[in-house]
Amino acid sequence: MATEQQSGEAVSDSRRTGPYASAVNWMETLSETQFAYLLLAPALILLGVIAVYPLVQTFSMSLFADQLTGSARLGEFVGLQNYIDLFTGARDFALPSAFLPTFTTQFPFVTDIYSSALMVTLIFTLFSVLFETLIGFGQALILDQDFRGRRWVRVAIIIPWAVPIVIQGMIFFLMFQPNIGFLIGTSDNPALLNQLGLIGTTPLRDTADALFLIIVADVWKTSAFMALLILAGMQSIDRSLYDVAKVAGASRWQQFKLITFPLILPTVLVAMLFRTIDAMRVYGIIETMAGCQTVPSLSCLVVTTFNAPLYGTSATVAFVTAGIIAVVVSVYIVNFASEGI
Amino acid sequence: MSSETSGVGVGADDAEMKRGPLGRWVDKAIKNPDRVYRAMFYVATVFFLVTTLFPFYWLLVLALTPNRLITNMGLLPKGFQPEVFITMFERVPFHLFMFNSFVLGISTTVIVLLIASLAGYVFGRLRFPGKSILMLGILAISYFPPAAFLIPLFELFTGNTALSIGAVTISSPDLFNTPAPMVLPFSALFLPLSIFILTTFYGQIPDGLEDAARVEGTTRLGALFRVIVPLSAPGVATAGVLTFIAVYNEFFFSFLMNNGEASSWAPIVAGILKYQGQFDTPFNLMAAASIVGVLPVAVLVIIAQERIVSGLTAGALKE
Repeated sequence: MATEQQSGEAVSDSRRTGPYASAVNWMETLSETQFAYLLLAPALILLGVIAVYPLVQTFSMSLFADQLTGSARLGEFVGLQNYIDLFTGARDFALPSAFLPTFTTQFPFVTDIYSSALMVTLIFTLFSVLFETLIGFGQALILDQDFRGRRWVRVAIIIPWAVPIVIQGMIFFLMFQPNIGFLIGTSDNPALLNQLGLIGTTPLRDTADALFLIIVADVWKTSAFMALLILAGMQSIDRSLYDVAKVAGASRWQQFKLITFPLILPTVLVAMLFRTIDAMRVYGIIETMAGCQTVPSLSCLVVTTFNAPLYGTSATVAFVTAGIIAVVVSVYIVNFASEGI
Repeated sequence: MSSETSGVGVGADDAEMKRGPLGRWVDKAIKNPDRVYRAMFYVATVFFLVTTLFPFYWLLVLALTPNRLITNMGLLPKGFQPEVFITMFERVPFHLFMFNSFVLGISTTVIVLLIASLAGYVFGRLRFPGKSILMLGILAISYFPPAAFLIPLFELFTGNTALSIGAVTISSPDLFNTPAPMVLPFSALFLPLSIFILTTFYGQIPDGLEDAARVEGTTRLGALFRVIVPLSAPGVATAGVLTFIAVYNEFFFSFLMNNGEASSWAPIVAGILKYQGQFDTPFNLMAAASIVGVLPVAVLVIIAQERIVSGLTAGALKE
């Protein structure tokens, strides 16, 4: 701001007048750092108002009790009591589903995992990311080949990624309705998947079955995303490495094991990180396919308590969810750092 | 079994073999492993094509079958009722929901491209203290779950947040059931990806071009919008396409930040869910609406697949 007076010297625009010209002239006099922050201002303001402020606000709301009656949204200040109640299970009576599973002394040390929001989210994350990586890898290996019609195969593989979540949910809702298709029948008239004993006849009303189908739906939609990222990693590999390997007599499997795999591993890990973060926020597909009562994920718990309205509890769960994601992210980053990538 | 001489590129010792076609194939495969790889490749390709495309075919089967006949369906439609694509608009004004989705998508895309162009220019072309910390900060924000923003944003947009400056208290305007409570969170949510894509593209433009424009007397912003942005048109298109698709696909804020009516700017999320009637479940209409809802993005993917692939790659490999 102090340099405002020195304008005129360099720019021919100084002949122009009016607020626009003077703003432009003023901008020319800024140092590179000042100019950088000026251009970043819109982005920082938007992220500040829509992301940083709500995050801080969520944390501060989580320090207050719920207010069930009256016009106020929050009760008295209770410090970390909401967090203590959440982790000791003392708050579970007010929640549509428990936060933690019940711990026991016998193997496997936990029971009721399907009624615990945390366990449901972790199971969903673990299996969906695992299968998306494997299938995405397979799809990437195919798209890496040169063949006729490759463009259309690529379109077919990408399209599920572009399907809106609500339509993805509707598709799988329609595929797994009892008795309308050949996949799910009724108890008198079991169909393919029932006969195989994979899932029951009302799978979208049973937590374990619904969770399984939601993972299938997520893998269907998101494997393409993994495939594209892994494919990009594969195509950035120097092709002459393969020529050298061929001359040296390496088999295809050896080429894959010794060249492709180690070189794309960093890409795969980055892609897995993105998917893990995304999977831990799962909400839309659950809401459309099975409903939050059947499959309570962490985001589901935030929304149901918010609608209750238990603002203090909801803010606490929301902040814990963000915290768990932050922990997962740092685990990945520490692993990256230790592998020297 | 008499085709011993028809082996393609196989040694002469093959001639003595007398086996079935499978045996011969296996034998050739052992001598020439490439055949196995090719067979595996075709099997896998067909498998992936069937698994990705079958759900769309299933939608078509359900849409074309009259609703009362939808039970114990096989692989073919029972009957042929293309009128369903008209009935679905009579039951729910789905075109209005789609219009809302387009408006939300396009306005978010414009906002994101403008803001991300400025930020991408800064990160891609300028050197200043605090650059890497700011980039990490913007990345970190995109890690947080939308659920962590929900309550304060809901309060803000329903006019329940008050800001006190001295004696004056300004409460936030009630914007619920306008596009703002969706467009603003979408913009913040999808801004980081566009910033990273544009940073990559803007950073690749040679400095000489910008310097030349500056010597000619163009202002800094003029150089950005008249030289750098046009030269990075593919990057801008990529960021735009990805932002639009992301908004069109979004569920969380689309579902929670409106009352679910087309007149309140609710997007297709509400439209699709509206088919679930209180007294009946019109499976055929649900399937038809899903097909219509997918069409715009399917067309976009077919047209812009190169852009999408390069954009996702650039955005994700940035870190």
